[in-house]
Amino acid sequence: MKAGKKIGYFMALTVFLILTLGPFLWTFVLSITPEYAMMDKTTRLLPEVITYDNYRELLTNGTQKGGILIAGIKNALKAVGVSLVFGIPIAMLSAYALSRMTFKGRRVIKNLLLITMVIPVMATIIPLFRLFVARQWLDDVFWLSMVYISSYLPMVTWLMSNYFASIPKELEEAARIDGCGWAASFLRIILPASYPIILSAALIMFLNTWSQFQIPLILASSLETKPVAIVVSEFMTKDSVQYGLTAAAGMIAVLPPAAAALVFRRFLVSGMMGGAVKG
Amino acid sequence: MRKKILPYILLSPMLLIMIVLVFYPVTATFSYSLKKWKLTAPNDIHMVGLGNYADILKSDSFWYSFWNTLFLLIVVVLMTTVLGFLVSIFLNIDVKWSGSLMAAAMLPWALPPYVNGILWRFVFSSGYGFMNKVVIGLGFVDKPVEWLGGRWPLLFITALVVTWRSIPFTALVCLAGRQAIPAGLYEAARIDGGNKRTIFRRITLPLMLPFLAIGITSASVTAINVFDEIIALSGYSDLGKNLLVESYLTTFSFLDFGKGSAVTYLVMLFAGILGVFYLISLDREVEY
Repeated sequence: MKAGKKIGYFMALTVFLILTLGPFLWTFVLSITPEYAMMDKTTRLLPEVITYDNYRELLTNGTQKGGILIAGIKNALKAVGVSLVFGIPIAMLSAYALSRMTFKGRRVIKNLLLITMVIPVMATIIPLFRLFVARQWLDDVFWLSMVYISSYLPMVTWLMSNYFASIPKELEEAARIDGCGWAASFLRIILPASYPIILSAALIMFLNTWSQFQIPLILASSLETKPVAIVVSEFMTKDSVQYGLTAAAGMIAVLPPAAAALVFRRFLVSGMMGGAVKG
Repeated sequence: MRKKILPYILLSPMLLIMIVLVFYPVTATFSYSLKKWKLTAPNDIHMVGLGNYADILKSDSFWYSFWNTLFLLIVVVLMTTVLGFLVSIFLNIDVKWSGSLMAAAMLPWALPPYVNGILWRFVFSSGYGFMNKVVIGLGFVDKPVEWLGGRWPLLFITALVVTWRSIPFTALVCLAGRQAIPAGLYEAARIDGGNKRTIFRRITLPLMLPFLAIGITSASVTAINVFDEIIALSGYSDLGKNLLVESYLTTFSFLDFGKGSAVTYLVMLFAGILGVFYLISLDREVEY
């Protein structure tokens, strides 16, 4: 690169990094600032004294706030587990049928899937709330997770059927001739060839489940179901807001998805793209 | 015979979930929207036809939320398109650390929108928050600014946070669009004597338009459905509410299921129009 271009690039890089990572860095600074220094009328960006008390309090099970946050993380992870165990196989079977078989109503089902991708959560939540009250599901991670699944099943199915459509049909036809039924050819040909898309789908479902806020705000009412984002929001609205503690809780809440996104970035990118661009 | 019903068997778990948890509730919500139905008056539930809709369209609260929604839509879509395009150009530059940059660029998309809102609330907090330290330190003002105290600044910051979350997807789509343009086209244009600007205007931009369209429509669907960030930045107050927050408050604070459902249906109508554009842009093929 020429010198002028190089300077331009590094300026762009700096702006990009500040805008992308700045809020995380600032929140981290707040999380290690002692509560008494929070309101200091100073323009110094870094605190004079550093404390890790906030993290210690949140990660100790005995303390009140710690217990709540840890419960929220556990609930989110449970929901992730249920979503993956049920969501991935269900999406795969549907995607296989939609991409490989011809039958009446195929076009209609595909279009319905696409339309549901743009239905806002609020349009379904009032009847669901009544259903959850009537069935006493408000304390049940399983049914909560089913609602999550319903909100991204269309997208994941679409993603997978785009991918399956790109696997050459000839492979399966050869297997058919050798006497494989659809199940055997699905297990022996489609499944091994599609581990990248399964990983992408799993990653996207993990991130989405971890992020849930609007659905559990209405459908999760107890400590046994409230996921991590709801717990953080309660730190923010409870009578006395402790900024340091909330900041630390925010940092803990973004750590797992951030780590997953960084480690599996290849699958994240292909997953985000696969849903958008027609295969 | 077995062959004929097999696809339906494979699809049945998904269809079951979608019918019970999406299609049935969506239609039920519509029937609620035609009823007078307040939880505070459980014995007085009856059909009012389009009465709820008429009431809503006459209320100031609805129009306040409507203009807020429209503001968020316009600002988010404009900023996401321009910045997403710029970020895609930036990410397209081949450097040693490209992979890490890509990962960092995707972060805002991957994280809980509510927590994103909290992170930015800390940046713009009143008192000596980050932004106030900066503007006071630089001598622009001498008292802390109430960034989130007024309607329009609050909405603008909300739009900023939503844009922050939706840039990664748009940038990625633009990047894919740019990389899909065959290198041969550029060579041919150069041989024909095209300069950089003509090549950008005549080749890069038109061939990227369909991809930009995906980014724009996806950003608009996101912008209409903003909820988490508004709650994170302004709580359940009226100041920064959009139509979805209005629907939430009507339903779950004022316990008016009828009107809440009607508001939701108006949002759906709004989102549905954009959704159609989204579907069209997903279905478009590009010829090179």
